[in-house]
Amino acid sequence: MNKLTTKNAFLGAIVALAVSVGVLTAPAKAADQITLTIWTFGEVIQPGLQREYQKLHPEIKIIPIKNDVDPLHQKTILSCQTGGPADIIAFEVPYSGYWRTGNRPSCFQDLRQMKTSDTNVAAGVAAGLSANDIKKNYLAWRWEQGVAFNDNVIGIPTDVGGLQVAYRADLFKKAGLPTDRVAVSKLWPTWDAFIATGQKYVAKLTPAEKKAGKGFIDDAGSIYAAVMNQGTVKYYQPDGTDAGKLVYKTNPQIKKAWDTTVKALDAGIGARLGQFTSDWNIGMNKGAMATILAPAWMLDYIKKQAPDTKGKWDIADLPVGGGNQGGTELGIPSYSKNKQAAYDFLTWYLAPEQQLKVFKTYGLFPSTSVLYDDAALLEYKDEFFSNAPIGQIYTKGVLKLKPIFEGELQRKIDSTFGAGLGRVASKKMTSAKSYALVISDIDKLFKN
Amino acid sequence: MTIIKDGKGRQQAPLTPWKQKSKKEKKPLPGVGSLDGRWGYPAIAPFFIIFLIFGVAPVAYSIYISFFKWDPLGESEFNGINNFIFLFQDSDFWLALRNTFSIWALSTFPQMIIAISLAAILRNKRLKGKSFWRTILLVPNITSVIAITIVFQQLFGRDYGLINGILGLIPGVDHIDFIEGIIPSHIQIATMITWRWVGYNTLIFLASMLAIPDELYESASVDGATKWQQFKYVTLPSLKNTITFVLIVGTIGGLQVFAEPQQLAPDGGSTKQFLTLTLFLYNQAFLNNKYGYAAAIGIAITFIVLIISAINFVITRKISGEGSR
Repeated sequence: MNKLTTKNAFLGAIVALAVSVGVLTAPAKAADQITLTIWTFGEVIQPGLQREYQKLHPEIKIIPIKNDVDPLHQKTILSCQTGGPADIIAFEVPYSGYWRTGNRPSCFQDLRQMKTSDTNVAAGVAAGLSANDIKKNYLAWRWEQGVAFNDNVIGIPTDVGGLQVAYRADLFKKAGLPTDRVAVSKLWPTWDAFIATGQKYVAKLTPAEKKAGKGFIDDAGSIYAAVMNQGTVKYYQPDGTDAGKLVYKTNPQIKKAWDTTVKALDAGIGARLGQFTSDWNIGMNKGAMATILAPAWMLDYIKKQAPDTKGKWDIADLPVGGGNQGGTELGIPSYSKNKQAAYDFLTWYLAPEQQLKVFKTYGLFPSTSVLYDDAALLEYKDEFFSNAPIGQIYTKGVLKLKPIFEGELQRKIDSTFGAGLGRVASKKMTSAKSYALVISDIDKLFKN
Repeated sequence: MTIIKDGKGRQQAPLTPWKQKSKKEKKPLPGVGSLDGRWGYPAIAPFFIIFLIFGVAPVAYSIYISFFKWDPLGESEFNGINNFIFLFQDSDFWLALRNTFSIWALSTFPQMIIAISLAAILRNKRLKGKSFWRTILLVPNITSVIAITIVFQQLFGRDYGLINGILGLIPGVDHIDFIEGIIPSHIQIATMITWRWVGYNTLIFLASMLAIPDELYESASVDGATKWQQFKYVTLPSLKNTITFVLIVGTIGGLQVFAEPQQLAPDGGSTKQFLTLTLFLYNQAFLNNKYGYAAAIGIAITFIVLIISAINFVITRKISGEGSR
């Protein structure tokens, strides 16, 4: 009996071993070929530039793997504990607070310790540059968003989400509003003036158009983020600690942004089309909205979703001026086996020359401030947007931006406020009641 | 084994064979014995090893972390049963429970009716292209949930959706907001679930219908029963066990509804009107960084499943008891 059991255990072990060997043995790779796996989202890694780099370096194979922003964040957390296949990981600025705090920066390679090799000298990237050496090319506060609180450089900024107003000149004309972008910008020095303009526009809509849900702005709720980002403090106030001090109950900027948005909602200027929903995509083609608060990266989306509206759009200044939304960092996870190749790719990919190309094809606004007085950027015009000097307009807005401290749960708090405004928009709750619920929902986040 | 010796046939098979274990039966299990004893364990080892690694270990680990304020990349602190106390006080949990059951009810019952009707049609011997219809039924089931959600979102769109387009043609009828409304949003999600699973369930019903002996129908028609009467008095009673099976599987699936609501709005809607239990769990862990709390929710879901399974078990016994009478 005893003998039999041992034998059984032995056979079981063999089977187990066979299974695990099968799982663990990865297929062997050719030694001279380096594969860079990039975990990314949206349009952060541009296929055009990827091809260009592979042409420069046939020995490097780039594999971008796309996820949505939030799942990618989870994947990054998990891979930090277990190791993973990524050589470069993209993370959104609202998550930067998370990665910069505590001992989480150790998940990423400190880029100050890296030096560029001579592989990209011909392509304009000198050899021997550490992150500290390339820092001067970038917008100072934007660069800081990739610097951890222990001073490690964990990410290099890809773009700045400068915000302006995209508007339909043809619809403005129909409503008897000025169409010239300078005159349009003058319509709304303040948010109140913007809302008043919206009311004027909505008043001109026919009852049929109103019934079809048309409005002045796509989603009045988007005003909230725009106003929030015009301040200097959001939900966390810098107080010398890594975490920052929570001020979501007391910051007057929040109340201001909330009230402005509620005012816009009450004025009925919004088409109530949530951004990136299918109704929004279709509405864009049908002229359901005359304005969109558009970050630079959204312009490409508009072009792709509503190709028939070419030449009807134009770009004006954001009320008050200086808006920001989004932005991405690219970092190298500590476990990467190809750090040198990854760093060489990053320094090339995010160099001013490449960022300019990305801006021209995809509209991502460069994070490299050395470009901001470059004629190539300032004189860039886009046919789709009535030949508006997009480079110049967005540069003007970005230069007005002030740095904002992004805390650990920034993204979650933002979406809680967004849901609160959604309740007001759908008339499920009064503004005061919904606001109280937002605060108690956020309280819950920090309880337990 | 004993049953066959009794010579009473399958009909008398006990529902709870494990309870019949008596002291006399301490012989080796028949299945393993026939495999010569030595090869039985290695043969089943791969499953159990994988089950141990990917099934048991994570469950044990979740139970462990449910007593902590857990930070995967930082320090975790022991939290006692606070996660559980907080859970029972959390209005979102009860809301999620309500939503889950509402969506479950809205998807399960129409699904049953449609699946049984479709199976009854497909059973028809004179139907042409039988295998084509049967195959095509499975297509929604193998389509990715995300793809289904994207298509249905277009159908259910508030302003430009097909359904609202048709509703708009009727004078005096307003567009329905299939996201903001509580019941409309549940209907939208339930429709997606029904679409995905109705074909699969149809095939199960069909298989069980094909097992009904033709003689029963023949004698029924000799007795002058109409098609409807045949369905009501022959087909339906024979399907009792299958209906129970589909109901149990559907309930387990219904408690795990996740991808559909998450695609509509990751936070479950502005008033959390379609926040389901699993979405609630996911969001606590992966959006709010409250892993310990999420583990506690997972344990709560397990208990809910256990309670419902117990109820199902009782009902099953009752129904099959009636069936054998």
